[in-house]
Amino acid sequence: MKNLEFFRRVSIGQYLDADSPVHRLTPATKYLWLFALILPASMARSSLAIILVAAACLAAAKLARVHLRYLLRGFGPVLPLVLLTAVLQFVFGWRDDGSLVLADLGPISVTMREVLSVLGMAARFLAIMMALGLFTATTTEGDSARGIEDLMQPLARLGIPAHGLALAVAVAFRFIPIVAGELEAVVKAQAARGADFGAGRGGIVRKVRAYLPLVVPVTVRALERAEALAEAMDARCYRSKGRTRFVVTVGGRGEALLRLSAIVFGAGVMVLSGMLSW
Amino acid sequence: MSTSLGTPEPAVRHALIDIHSLSYRYPSRSELVLDDVSFSLAPREYVALVGANGSGKSTLARCVCGLLEPPPGSVNVGGLDPSKRADAFEIRKRLSLVFQSPLDQIVASVVEEDVAFGLENLGVPKSDMDTRVEAALRAVDLWSVRKRPTRFLSAGQQQRLALAGAMVMEPKAIIFDEATAMIDPAGRESILDHMDILAEGGTAILHITHDMGEAARADRVLVLSGGRLVYDGRPQALFEREDVSAWALAEPPSMATARALGMKAVAGESARDFGRRLAGLSVLRPSKEAAHGAPPTETAEGNSLAWSATTAGFSYLKGTDQETKALEGVDLALSGGRSLALVGGTGSGKSTLLQLLSALAEPSEGRVLVFGQDTQDPKTDVRKLRMRSPLAVQRPETAIFELYAADEVSFGPRNAGLEGKALVERVRSAMDTVGLPYAQFRDRQCRALSGGQKRRLALASILAMEPDGLVLDEPTSALDPLSRQALMDVIWSRVEAGRALVFSTHSMEEAARADLVAVMRGGRLVALGPPSSVFGPAWREDWGIGLPFAAELSRSARQEGLDLPDGIIDLAGLAAACGALASVGREAP
Repeated sequence: MKNLEFFRRVSIGQYLDADSPVHRLTPATKYLWLFALILPASMARSSLAIILVAAACLAAAKLARVHLRYLLRGFGPVLPLVLLTAVLQFVFGWRDDGSLVLADLGPISVTMREVLSVLGMAARFLAIMMALGLFTATTTEGDSARGIEDLMQPLARLGIPAHGLALAVAVAFRFIPIVAGELEAVVKAQAARGADFGAGRGGIVRKVRAYLPLVVPVTVRALERAEALAEAMDARCYRSKGRTRFVVTVGGRGEALLRLSAIVFGAGVMVLSGMLSW
Repeated sequence: MSTSLGTPEPAVRHALIDIHSLSYRYPSRSELVLDDVSFSLAPREYVALVGANGSGKSTLARCVCGLLEPPPGSVNVGGLDPSKRADAFEIRKRLSLVFQSPLDQIVASVVEEDVAFGLENLGVPKSDMDTRVEAALRAVDLWSVRKRPTRFLSAGQQQRLALAGAMVMEPKAIIFDEATAMIDPAGRESILDHMDILAEGGTAILHITHDMGEAARADRVLVLSGGRLVYDGRPQALFEREDVSAWALAEPPSMATARALGMKAVAGESARDFGRRLAGLSVLRPSKEAAHGAPPTETAEGNSLAWSATTAGFSYLKGTDQETKALEGVDLALSGGRSLALVGGTGSGKSTLLQLLSALAEPSEGRVLVFGQDTQDPKTDVRKLRMRSPLAVQRPETAIFELYAADEVSFGPRNAGLEGKALVERVRSAMDTVGLPYAQFRDRQCRALSGGQKRRLALASILAMEPDGLVLDEPTSALDPLSRQALMDVIWSRVEAGRALVFSTHSMEEAARADLVAVMRGGRLVALGPPSSVFGPAWREDWGIGLPFAAELSRSARQEGLDLPDGIIDLAGLAAACGALASVGREAP
């Protein structure tokens, strides 16, 4: 790669601007459903849970008019992890594995149980990625911050800084392009003066050695930018109490029902899969 | 330095802001940033605050708003004291700030949500918010993009958004802290127009600026020098003084022009008005025989080309669904020892083109040659090539990464393989050239240098490689007039010494000094030629780049019937042309 460009121009998240019943849901409802899908998909022992979660995701994706391919974009990056786990699985078998041996390569054998286990894990990842993909495709940056505040509102009475956390999330989103831009500036300034970036030579060690000295200046700049933003917020009378909201995220009775059904779905799938042995 | 008041102090019976011998030092620093400053600002006043980088302007603004804590009793904003926390909040309801960097003051990810941020903080009910946000967005002409993500706005739009965020608070005064320094001429003009509208509507304005033309638009100018208030009075009287350069100020172009033509100097006069005034003078009798300027001559390009681009294009994120074309079909060539100025709005492709010309990026289409070498050719040693034609990024001081000045400068030559005595000599000569003498500055911490010094240090770190060409991205942005002048002097001296130069700028005065001017618009090169042609017959209003003062003035005078030649770009040309006209007029019976 000879061109020194970073994420500065990449849009953050995968939000797909559209109008659908799913897009219109309040962020808190979307968060609840996200948890109701991800928790069973990652924790429930039965494969029925994975099937149910995947089915729910597909139905919602249809409603939100989001393509399946778009949802699975997040699966690519975790694929190496899945493959690594598969290899480990085959190398280190279960001690009391009495299932059918499918292939025997001397010290390494592939059994039915191992294959099922790998497939099950891949399916788990797929279901989780679909749920996450659906959430990010239908939720804006601002909403994903506001949703946290809404969900934590009951806890705010106990002194948990719900608004502060939501703001931190919103600012973190804002800072991805800012930090990337700063990194780009330092890398370009150094490359212009003969540093090795993108000149097409050297291995990973060389790369690490080139990038390591950038950590301090980029961090310092990011802190300076953060200070500037904090000052601009202060200048606009920022305070965490006594605020009102410009964007309304209070849902009606339908929303309440949907939130309730998220809890019922999540709990139901967990209980159901606990009762099954497959 | 003693305080000299240009006009008697205005009546301060109902002052909006009253400052009484304010001194301020930053915690853990010994020197005073503000030293015994006193003045007041009346409601509805339009005041400019000028002074060198580091003279205390921004500190003053922050003390007034309580973003910094001034000594108790030194600042009074309508009975409130910003040194008290509770008062500071109330003060910020009445005084809004617009900062320099557009991106650093945007909080929300959607335009309208960002405007509402201040109102949310105040607890304004939703229904009121809607009407106020709409009014503010309509006022700055951003209503149509209210649902857009903020980061997709241009810098000029982002700054208008920041202004809307200030206006929506319905403040009694708005402080602009170099709010026009980082945006292009069209964006700048729009912010300045909004200031005028706000001032007419009764909002007091405190405009911190390095641009003397901007300062001269105000009713009153305050000058800070070394933390002291050294002038408080009308702009006219300020710029009639002989000693303004001692305060790192320069004359606004209208004043300098008037002086050169022997006319009455009027501070704040626009080029257009000046042109009309010039056309109305009876000595300059229009005459058919008046000599026109020589037609712009293109010097033949030499054999050794510094840079050439052939239908060069560049796309970010090529091959993804977010692919954006930043550059398209650019053809240009510049021979060694010549200079090219790139002008055009933000996002027009200037920075991208500069990266292609310094081999930091490869064109996605077409070809770019840097000193005869194809940047896409796998046999080209890109690293070496970059060092022959190094880029100084925008605001290069933010990319300084070494602790000590001399180490920063030696980074390049060390990468080129220099060491020992040769390296020291290289660093010494580069630092001496930019006016940061090696003996005095080598062990200085980079962070402790002033803004102008950092910028010069960054230039030294480029010059230390003794490159054949200089590629500079907005080298003088956000500098005070004297630092700007000092930096450009160093740059032009390198061109005279035979280096090729390509630089981008928002200052048409700077562009007019180059051999060639290239106008960029929407990723395309829409004009390329000598400044007398680009700013003369070829110039088009819709480029949105503005004109050098002398060019705009003569254009306006010509429209009024004065027979000035087309293609005047600087003061010397204007004075010569007027001299010629006057003599023609005199000869006529």
